[in-house]
Amino acid sequence: MTRILRSLRDGIGFDVLLVIIALSYLLVFAGLPLIYNVIISFQTVDVFSLGTLWHPNAGFDNYRAIFDDPLAGRVLWQTIVFTLGSVALQFTFGFALALFFHQNFTGATWIRGLFLAAWVMPGLVVGVLWNWLLSGDFGVINHLLESLGLIEDPVFWRSNVETSLYAVLIANIWYGTPFNMILLAVGLAAIPGDLYEAAELDGANAFQRFWTITLPMMRATIGAVLALGIIFTLQQFDLFAAITQGGPAGSSTVAQYWSWQLSFREFDFGRGAVISVLMIIVVLFVSLIYVRSTKAETQL
Amino acid sequence: MSGAVTNRVLLAVALALAAVYLFPLYWMYVTSLKTQSSIFAVPPEFLPGAPQWDNYATIWEVANILRYIGNSLVIASGVTLITALVGSGCAYVLARYRNGWIDAALFAVLMLQVLPPSLMVTPIFVGFASVGLLEYPRFATILAFSAKTMPFFVILCRAAFMTVPRELEEAALVDGNSRIGAFFMIVLPLARNGLLISALLVFMNGFGEYVYSASIIADNRLQPASIGMTNFLQPNVVNWNAIMAFAATYVTPILAAFVLLQRQIVNGLTAGALK
Repeated sequence: MTRILRSLRDGIGFDVLLVIIALSYLLVFAGLPLIYNVIISFQTVDVFSLGTLWHPNAGFDNYRAIFDDPLAGRVLWQTIVFTLGSVALQFTFGFALALFFHQNFTGATWIRGLFLAAWVMPGLVVGVLWNWLLSGDFGVINHLLESLGLIEDPVFWRSNVETSLYAVLIANIWYGTPFNMILLAVGLAAIPGDLYEAAELDGANAFQRFWTITLPMMRATIGAVLALGIIFTLQQFDLFAAITQGGPAGSSTVAQYWSWQLSFREFDFGRGAVISVLMIIVVLFVSLIYVRSTKAETQL
Repeated sequence: MSGAVTNRVLLAVALALAAVYLFPLYWMYVTSLKTQSSIFAVPPEFLPGAPQWDNYATIWEVANILRYIGNSLVIASGVTLITALVGSGCAYVLARYRNGWIDAALFAVLMLQVLPPSLMVTPIFVGFASVGLLEYPRFATILAFSAKTMPFFVILCRAAFMTVPRELEEAALVDGNSRIGAFFMIVLPLARNGLLISALLVFMNGFGEYVYSASIIADNRLQPASIGMTNFLQPNVVNWNAIMAFAATYVTPILAAFVLLQRQIVNGLTAGALK
């Protein structure tokens, strides 16, 4: 007994205890739900059976119901469009800004920091802001597009089935660009300056320097940023709740929002769990690649 | 082109980019100060007329913003407290050793960091319902969301602890301190700034939390400000000035904290994300 106490106070027991407390917390509130998720995806969980730990068995009924749902194909396609669109454009804008602010001029670091103000805002507030900006009749975005001659009639971004997904996509690009920018800026800052000087002496122009020095040196950072972009986009929920609520007619529903709607709007937790299980597999797969690649590059 | 001119041109372009990018924030503040008729003016009025501070008075009196923000503060404080108490020690140990066990623990933490709350809320809600935790909705939200912020906090703090030289801690042990003593007297004070910034980021996250609150907290009086905002969003909403006043009141403290601590926040974030 005293030996254990001594170890807790002075030896390895102290370290083990600290780690075990945190890992037990995560096991109870993240690990167990992960397993429970799989279990309830095979059960009938509705308002009547909610409240007990074990629910009536449903076999593969929930899975069948999801795969037979006419919405499933649309949601899958919209999830892909939303995720790839967000990641590609956040990355492009983020990289362009990072390169721009990488030039040495007065106030570069400070002005670059201003962009991150958007990133610390709650997602729900960002969504409500864009809801107002993209409003059909009185939205300022429509006004700007009209005065630039890009559109003739106001676009009803949020209530048109053709554009509702893009309304959320635009907001998400705005929201996620600064994070991409700052991570890429860190990568750019790590490239030794004498590489560029040497290339310049050899007569390489700016474009050649970018292709032969910047891109290859940034490979690890770019991989990490793209993987993180996919992971964060698959977490995006607040913007959907604040801008379109998945509508109209499911035209802006993505998988993570559909899962939530099934559970908390239709109170069919079994079917909500099915999508949750499938999407968590996707997310864990992407982050597995991410963790492995960063481990190979930096020995974690 | 001389250096000074290039410098000025770049500065002007940078300011223009920042202005375009931050226009949505400007529009929030301007709309929040407009009258009901001028928010629907065509073309839109880009400069505010006489500021309508009444909009702010209205959301204090009618929209119960104080209660909503109070609930957000409760949730944010609870999440920060649990995350920091449970997570700091773990981050310290993960920073201090290098072996297979530590790598495995770190891997587990990294993998748990990516789980989307909108997907985790289904099993958590069903589980909480069966053990009776939904009777305490704010507490349940805090417990659930802390599991989301903790991996993030551990990764950030681990980076902070790694900057503390091992030799200092070993010197304290040689001087007769216990491990606990050395941890509290030497390691924690030296890693303090990193820990505080990480805790602040967790607090901001908790302050803006939406998914868990919206799913778990049914009682209007216990809901945080994020849900208070969505209550405005009816199909044919017209009082955008009030909504923007609500939004401005909600985010201004966060933006102020960010402006004051910009450099530290950016450093902390980038240290955690890429290492």
